[in-house]
Formats: sequence, structure tokens, C-alpha cells
Amino acid sequence: MKRWPSILLLVVILVALALLPQFVNAYWLRIATGALMWAGLACSWNIIGGYAGYIDFGHSAFFGIGAYATAILMGGSFGWPFAATVPVGLVAAALVAAVIGGPTLRLRGAYFAIATWAFAEMLLQLVNVLEITGGTGGLSLPPFLDENFFYFTMLAAVALTYGVTWLLFERSRFGYKVKALRDHEAAAESMGINTSLVKLQAFALSAVLAALFGSIFAYWVTFINPKSVLGGDITDQMVVMVLLGGLGSFWGPALGGVALFLINRLIWMNFGDTAFYIAILGAAIILVVLFLPEGIAGLFTRRGKPGNSLLRQSLARLVGRGGRA
Amino acid sequence: MDLLLQTLANGILIGGVVATFAIGFQLTFGVLHVIDFAVGAWVILGGYLAYFMSSLLGVDGFLALPVAFVLFGTLGYLIGPIIYRVRNSRTARPELMALALTFGLFTLLRGGMLTFWGFNTRSVDTALSGGSLMIGPVAVPMLRVVAFAFAMAAAAALFFMLYRTRYGLAIRATAENRETAGLMGVDVHRLSATVYGIYAGLTAMAGVLMGAIYSVNPEIGLRYTLFAFFIAVLAGLGSVGGAILAALFLGIIEAVVATYWGSAYSHLAIFATLYLVLLVAPKGILGRGL
Amino acid sequence: MSKKSQGISRRRFIHTGAGALGSFALAAPFIRTARAQAPTIKVGVITSLSGENIFGGNLTRRGYDFWAEMANQKGGVEVGGEMLKVEMFYGDDQSNPATGADAAERLIVQEEVDCLFGPYTSGSTIAVQPICQKYQVPMISGSAESPNVWKAKPEFNFGMIPAVDNSAGRSLGVLGDMSEPKAAKVAVIGVNEPFSKETGEGFQAGAEEAGLELVAYELVPATGDLTPTISKIAALKPDIVAVGGHEEVLINVVKTSKSLGFRPAALIMHYGVTNPAYAEALGADADGTTGISVWLPSVPYKDDLFGTAQEYNEASHNRWGSYPDYTEAACSASGLVLADALKRLGKKPANPADKAALKDAIAETDITTFYGPVKFEKEGDHYHDNIQPVPVLIQIQDGSVVAVGPKDAAAADLVYPLPAWN
Repeated sequence: MKRWPSILLLVVILVALALLPQFVNAYWLRIATGALMWAGLACSWNIIGGYAGYIDFGHSAFFGIGAYATAILMGGSFGWPFAATVPVGLVAAALVAAVIGGPTLRLRGAYFAIATWAFAEMLLQLVNVLEITGGTGGLSLPPFLDENFFYFTMLAAVALTYGVTWLLFERSRFGYKVKALRDHEAAAESMGINTSLVKLQAFALSAVLAALFGSIFAYWVTFINPKSVLGGDITDQMVVMVLLGGLGSFWGPALGGVALFLINRLIWMNFGDTAFYIAILGAAIILVVLFLPEGIAGLFTRRGKPGNSLLRQSLARLVGRGGRA
Repeated sequence: MDLLLQTLANGILIGGVVATFAIGFQLTFGVLHVIDFAVGAWVILGGYLAYFMSSLLGVDGFLALPVAFVLFGTLGYLIGPIIYRVRNSRTARPELMALALTFGLFTLLRGGMLTFWGFNTRSVDTALSGGSLMIGPVAVPMLRVVAFAFAMAAAAALFFMLYRTRYGLAIRATAENRETAGLMGVDVHRLSATVYGIYAGLTAMAGVLMGAIYSVNPEIGLRYTLFAFFIAVLAGLGSVGGAILAALFLGIIEAVVATYWGSAYSHLAIFATLYLVLLVAPKGILGRGL
Repeated sequence: MSKKSQGISRRRFIHTGAGALGSFALAAPFIRTARAQAPTIKVGVITSLSGENIFGGNLTRRGYDFWAEMANQKGGVEVGGEMLKVEMFYGDDQSNPATGADAAERLIVQEEVDCLFGPYTSGSTIAVQPICQKYQVPMISGSAESPNVWKAKPEFNFGMIPAVDNSAGRSLGVLGDMSEPKAAKVAVIGVNEPFSKETGEGFQAGAEEAGLELVAYELVPATGDLTPTISKIAALKPDIVAVGGHEEVLINVVKTSKSLGFRPAALIMHYGVTNPAYAEALGADADGTTGISVWLPSVPYKDDLFGTAQEYNEASHNRWGSYPDYTEAACSASGLVLADALKRLGKKPANPADKAALKDAIAETDITTFYGPVKFEKEGDHYHDNIQPVPVLIQIQDGSVVAVGPKDAAAADLVYPLPAWN
């Protein structure tokens, strides 16, 4: 059977991830936890951006909703346990997505992208001036410093995210409906698909998953402020990770999320004495766009034979003559 | 009453300032169909150029305006074709790849500036710095009048070029339909480079003015990117005239809310307005098109 | 056809790339350890080398580095009769608390630092504190000024600068007292971000205490245009305008006020005014700005490493090309606190128990440095904060910073009211 190797691979990866804490120190475990989180966040973005084709530039709003739900409810005046705060964050994210999704998902293309961005900025500004969120000063959570707990919690959340995504988008009628509306919304509508409902469901699902990671993140880092959980750079990273990995592919977000996070951290570790690593990061993104436009996942779906040299291809691509696929 | 007049003047002039860099942005979107993340980087580059010229050469900051246009216009002309290639490549979502490319460009420029030009906030000195006109009870900062005039002149020049010259016809034809324009003998590739060059040059010129009115450091780019995006969307992507109206609209909202409600709420009001306007008028207030 | 051939060349490209990256990743953990030879005192600096707080981040780094360089020139720091060199490690927090926490864990676990020097921003400091607690590693913060840092009673963190709630209000009172004719009305502008907002609140409380009438309290977004705010305040005709903000906003406040033809009788700001970059950016327009400083080169203190405050000032100028402000001075003095504690501890901290002992030694600090006396509070709202330094009212006169109040610290007369613009 053709599928056995990939299932075997999956099992190997899962076992390796489960055993990782035995082999690395607390710092590398922290990095691994961060990489898992970004793999999960990228996947949540891929649901609305990749499968449904709606480019959400305000996804940080949902990450922030989860983070603030946990931070507020675990804080002084409530004092809830962590596990009790997570469902509140998820429900809040789902409600917000349902409310704004209706009118916002009527917009298309760049207008949808920037409307969601405006919404996220609006939420950021609101959190800046509210009392309950601590304003720009942020909120501290009771520190819980067991790195294994956060690693395995994050791992479970990522497994859940990818499991749900696999079932819904790769193995169900729902997935076909979502992809159909991405490829041709009017045609999907005429085939009897309730596109408004389907895309609202996809939007809400991606929001809920982002909020899940927001909750864990807040508890893990023990301190959040509006910029750190609602900042536009959080969404930017999700988008770039998905593009790097492969838009709309199942494994792409995981590959892109882990790769970009690790590259960022490695460059930061080794060249972080100055800000030059930011320039290196920018150059890396440019190179990926120019030479890997289908993302990392695109590499594994190609079949081909040796041909033109990479250099010739690249030059042709840059100069713009010949060499086009 | 005096305060109300002053507030409206402030709002209109904030709008003028924002319009300076929103206009070129509209041109690139209209023709290249690229949402350029690097817009803030061009603003900062212009600001730094003016700072270095006035501090090292001792010349007036305004002299940097033509230099910025030529220098960064040329740079834009060279970078433009790469962006064009990516935007028209056969990947699944070329518009997103182009956005990611300009995000990479923005990050690269930001990191380079941080490394080589340091972290100090710089201010550009010009002959008109600090000057103000009193029109009745209303104080009008001279530099902002210059920015407003610059925005109007840039828009007028673009309109003239687009609607009164053959080259403008080619640009509009390309904006309308790239393939057809190509078939009609327009060198679409070269034209894209020129358009991106004009945009980069204009935006860097706006940066000179930003450095004089506010100040410049490598980390302030994102706020300009944000405003350029929002003005563009409120106006209707690609609409140059709409950009000016939208900028004035947002400027007046910012000034009125800051004065009569509280400065802390001015940005909340801007983003809320923007979001609501988009829901009501999904194609912007003027609709789309050059 | 060409599509297929392109696929394979791309794949080869990524294979090579992935191989290189993979070996890089594997090698990374060993790059640092390879160079450790003789025992050194390892110090980790967490601060903002990128992001919106780069200016202050780099100043703190200068201050910390300058101590390390000076100490190493004299052979290092004395530990149990032996001289050990100081080795510095850096973590950029990217102006983001979460990255600050990553940096702390890396410096402690990976580089095995003996002590941390704290971030520029209070947000990062708050996020790093639990990590210090977890590994029992002490941190000396030469910069964080937010009272919230100390209200949480951080066991392992020590602050060199008195919190702003302590300094801002008092200085406004001093300015009000010294004004002639007496100032009556105050308007406060605070940038809506943690440090600046707390400074604004400090000014607000100070105005009430000093019996000044508060005519406006405006919180402004960090990236907002200031013309509406300044116009509104100008219409209320305050005698004193007090601003809580960082250097960029301070520069914009002065430029905007001038362009609207508005000049209050006094303009008081907190952080950033004492840094030469402020006067440099504004030129003559900076003259007359008053500010608060917990340290000036004219303070009458000295120590063995840096000499007098004036000598420190000159030496730092020779090293970096600009004169230090109080944050740089406090950061350099952080090193003196560490050296003193290590000397009393008498050994290089080798395990968590030793590092906790180092923390206890730091808590017992009672020294005088070029920066002034250093002694950390043992309880209350300023737990582990050094509130010994007395804030001085300063004013920029002819481009340089001079002390103008209180009377016993004054080196020049306060210019009040300020002359109209040109």
C-alpha cells in the first residue's frame, strides 16, 4: 500500500516528539515548545487562508482573545485554574468570529484581508484603553514553571489541531465544500453549497484553534501585554510560515512554522549580538519567495528528472526571460 | 469656536501628511496589483537621506526631495521587475507571494538600517521647521502646509500623466488588462519597473517631509505601512483621488476625537470607522480604479 | 517539460540547503562552549537590540558593556582572592516580553551565566523574573523604572533606579516651588505605554500634592499625531506641560508645539531629556526643557573602578562618543554591585545554591559608587528597588544638561518662564 510509509513516518515523528524531553535541556525544550506553537498557529491560519482562500490579516485577534481570557480569569480577582479558563477563551473566540464573520466574509480579496486587519487593530486599541485588560501595562499570570507540562500541553494542542484538520479537510465532505468555494465561489453556490455557512464555520474553527494556542501561550510566558499577543507581527508570521510551507497543503504549515521559527531562533542565537540578523531574516524570506514559490511542501509533490542548473533557472527567473515553468 | 476651527485645520493637515505616502501606494496597487509592505521602508529611507544630507553636508533638508526621487526612484526601477515577476508567476496565490516578497524586502531594509545607521531618533532640519502661520485664531504649521501642497501637486502630476500623455494611456491600459496591453505593443515589463520606480521615489520624498514634521528611526516604518494600507482600502484600492479624500476623512476623525473625546481614543475611532466603512461600502468610498 | 526539470533542480537546492541548515542546527549548541577556557564570571545581558525600544536597549547595553570592559582592563573581578575575567553574553528581547523570556532561559541554561543584567523595558523584566526564580539566578536591572516590577516582590531581581512613581511627582513639585511668578496650572501628556503612562500618573499625583491645578490629563497613542492634543492643551493655557514618554515622542512634542506657536512657561519631561541625542535632534529648540535625573556627572560620588562621576562621564564619552545619561550610569553601576557581591560571596557560583547565595549577597549590598549610594529595599512597594538616589530637576541650557533644583543641588538658575519661540 502506498500510504504505509507516510503512516510509519507519522508514528516515528510522534514517538520522537514524545521522547524529546529526555534528550534536550530546558532551553531546547522551550524552543521546541515555541516551534510547536507556531506549527499549530500556522495550521489554524491555513484553515481560513489556505483551504477557504480568505486571507485573514487579523488572526492575531483570536490568539489575543484566548490569551486575555486566560490571563484575566487566572488573575487576582478571579483566580480560576488554567484548565477552566481555556474553554472560556475558545467560546469567546468562536462568538467573536461568528459575529464579525457574517459581514466580514462578504468582502473579497484584499478587502477582506484589510478589514480583518482593521478589526484586529481595533481590538488592540480597545485592549489598550480598557481597565480589565490592564491597558498597555499588560497582565501577569501566576507563574507555573514546569517546562515538561507546557511542552506536552502544546504537543497535545498541536496534535488536536492537525487531527481535526485532517478529518475535516482531507477526509470529509466539509473539506470538499470549503475547497470548492475557494476555487470558485459562485459555482460552489450553484451546486447547492451554502457558502456563507461553510466559510463561517471554517472561519470560526480557525479562530477557536488560534485562541487555544493563545491561552497556553499566556500561561507559559506568564506575562502578556497588548502588543505581545495582539500585535500585527503575530499574524504576519503566521502568513509567512504558511506561504513558506505551502499554502493550502496539509503538512505545509507545520513545515513552514517549524522551519521559520527555528531559523529565526538560530540566527538570533548566533548573530543576535546586533540587529543584523533581522536583515538576514529578510533576505531569507526573499530567497524563499523567489526560489521556493510553492513552499517546502511543494518539493515533495513534484516528480521530475535532472535538467537545467539551478543557477540558470534562477537567473532566468530574475531577468524574466524564458525559464518559466 | 476657535478650538473647533483649529481642530478642523489640524485634521485636514494630518490628512495631507498621510496622503503624501498614500498616493504612490495607490499607483502601485492600481497598476502592479501589488500591496507593497515595504512602503514604510521607503518613507524611512527618504527621511534618513534628508537627515544625512542636512547633518553631514549642512544643506537644507528640502534639497533632499529631488535627490530622494532620483535615488530611490532608480532603486525602485531596479527592484520593480522582481516584484512584477513574482506577482505574475504561476504559483497558487501570486498576490500573496508578492506580499511576502515585499515583507521580506521591508525586513531586510529595516535590519540593514538598524545595523548601519544605529538606533538614535533623527530629526530633519529645514528652512521652514518650526514656523507657523496664524490665520485668524488658527495656527497652521508651515511644514504641514508644504506636505499638503506636495500631496496635491503629486496627485495633480499623476493625473496629468495618466490622462494627458500617451505613456499614461499605456499605464491605464496595463492597469485595466495586462495581457491586452501587452498585445497592443506596451512593454508591460518595463512599464511596471517605471511605475514602481515612480512610487518608490514619491514615497521617499514623502519620507523627507515625515522626517521634518516628525522624526525618523528605523523602527517607525510599520506605522506608515499600516496607514498607507488603510487609506488605500478606505479609498478603494487603486484610486488616487480617493486616497486624498480618505486621508482627509481619517485626519479629521483623528483630530476631532482626540480633541473632544480624548487622545487615547483617536486610534480606536480610526480603526473602528475603517472597519465599519468597509462593511457598509466593501469597495471603498469611491470604488476601485485609477 | 521544463516544469519537471525545474522541480528536480529546486529539490536539489533545498536538499543542499537543508543539509547546511541541519549541520548548522546541530553545531549551534557547541559553538559557544568550545571557547570557554579559564573560568570567567559569565554575565548575560537581556535587552532590546531591535524593535521599538532599540534606543533605550542600546543605551543599557553600553552601560553594562562599559563596566565589563573597565573591569577586565583591571584584570577582572575579585572572587575569593583570585581575579576572574568578565565574559558578556547577549540576548535580544526584540522589544517583546516572550522573546525576553526565551533569551533568559537561553542565557541561563545554554550559556550558564552566573548573573543576568536586566532588560530596558519593564514588560520584558516582568516576563524574565519567573525564569530567574526558576533557576535561582539573580538579576540586576539597571533600567526598569516601572513600579509594577517591584510591587510583585521579585525575589531574584534588583533595581538600580528608583521607580517613576517615586521620582516624577516630586520633581514636578520642585519645579512648581521654584517657578517665579508661581505656576498655577499643569497639563499632563502621557504616552499610552507602560512606563510613560506611569510617569504621567506620577506627574498627576505630584500636581495634586503640590497644589497645582490639573487642567488636562491626556493619554496619547504611541504612534498618534500630536497636533490635536497640543492644540487642545494650548487652548487651556497651562503654565507647565509635563510629558511622560520616550525620546521619539518627546522630540515630536517639542517640534509640534513649536510648529503651532505654543510655548508653556515650563516644559518638564522624564526619561530621554538627559540623553545627548535629544538635544542633538532638536538643536536650540531643546533649550529650556526641564527633566528629571537620578544621576548627573556633577554628583559628589566616586568609587575605585570608575573614579568620580565626572571621570566616569569623560571615560564613557571617550568610549562611545556621547555622554552617558542616568540609565547608562545605573547600568554601569550594576556591574559594581555584582563585583561587590561576588567579593563578599568569595567564590564563583557553581550550582543553584551558590547562585541563590549570590542573590542573598546582592540583597545585602550597601556601597557607594560614582552613581551614588546603592542599597535595596527589603520590603514594601519598592521591594528590591534602590531608592537611595535623589531625583534632581535638570534643565537644558545652551545644549547641555545642568541641575537647577532643588536649591541645594542647583548648579544654575532655572530659566522660567520660557521665552516665546523666536
